[in-house]
Amino acid sequence: MPVKTEAEIRRALREWVIKAGGQAQPAEVRDDTPLIESRIISSLQVMDLLLFIERLSGLSIDTGELDVAVLRSIDTIYDHFFGARHADSTR
Amino acid sequence: MSHVKSSKMVKTLCDASKRDYANPYAQLEWPETVNIEDWHMSPELLSLYGTDVYERLTEAERKRLSFYEAVNFFSLNIHGEKPLVEGLAKRLYAKSSRPIDSYLHHFLDEENKHMIYFGEFCMRYAGKLYPDKKLTFPRQYAPGEEDFLFFAKVMIFEEIVDVYNVRMAKDERLTPIARKINYFHHRDETRHLAFGRQLVKELFEQHATAWSPETLRGLRDYLGNYLIATWKEYYNPDVYRDAGLNEPHDVQEAAVAHPRAAAHRKEISAGCVRYLLQHGMLTEEPCL
Repeated sequence: MPVKTEAEIRRALREWVIKAGGQAQPAEVRDDTPLIESRIISSLQVMDLLLFIERLSGLSIDTGELDVAVLRSIDTIYDHFFGARHADSTR
Repeated sequence: MSHVKSSKMVKTLCDASKRDYANPYAQLEWPETVNIEDWHMSPELLSLYGTDVYERLTEAERKRLSFYEAVNFFSLNIHGEKPLVEGLAKRLYAKSSRPIDSYLHHFLDEENKHMIYFGEFCMRYAGKLYPDKKLTFPRQYAPGEEDFLFFAKVMIFEEIVDVYNVRMAKDERLTPIARKINYFHHRDETRHLAFGRQLVKELFEQHATAWSPETLRGLRDYLGNYLIATWKEYYNPDVYRDAGLNEPHDVQEAAVAHPRAAAHRKEISAGCVRYLLQHGMLTEEPCL
């Protein structure tokens, strides 16, 4: 998957969340929307989300070392898994 | 917590646990190394079996895949048993658990022993466990719901694992160490499953009438989704990468979606799903 810029990563994450959430309207999913608290995705879909993040980032994620707060929103996901490596990209 | 109806059942299970009491350090003889191009998991149980990717693999590549899938299977067991041990310890000598305390001691003891041999296989031969991909988020529960879900999740996880254990314990193509681990696990799980089925049924009967329709609906959705999520862990891109396959996330997605894999999940889960449906814990079959 040739995703490179911050804007592309955020868009890919948003599209995944909207598709996985099923019920959510695209306008309801902003980058700061709490994904699990708002029940846009369920706690049991987090595993699929992690696999999608792995696919985008090339990382292998160990949940034993993960603070669940980093999965709160697209903003926090981006900052934790991609931020440092895309500091020079534009949204 | 409910009572496992017959204290007679608890006594029977305790007696059987005492009879089969084992020393995990003496129970198995560990070869220094294993050949990763032997079968460590039955080919028909491999997550890729029947897919196009699998058909293109050579015999040696299939066996190599079976080694990493066995490491994944044993890793999953450890990740499933860690919260189980935590939850059992929390319930031990809790007021509501008194009637089953004597069996909880055996349950805890046996789960710890399982982790010893699963961990030994993974660390000795692969030098690692595959990381856990499940996360738990704090939430509110209706009275009795947390206990019910704890034991229902244990039951679902163990019922699937046990079908694999039974088949692999009998499979003469497998290396002796892989077969024996499956055999010893199944021997204890037979008791855990009998206990789990009865306790889950009793907890549901005890609390369900007091739960609101919304709680019941949420709980049934959760159980169905838990079953689906449990199966997803059998399709691990890290395994495919270690087995030398390209584009492991594509392989994972294609394998999950493959009709043969869906039929396999349905077949392996049939007994567990039937039990959940029969006792009203599910009202429709989950789309596996």
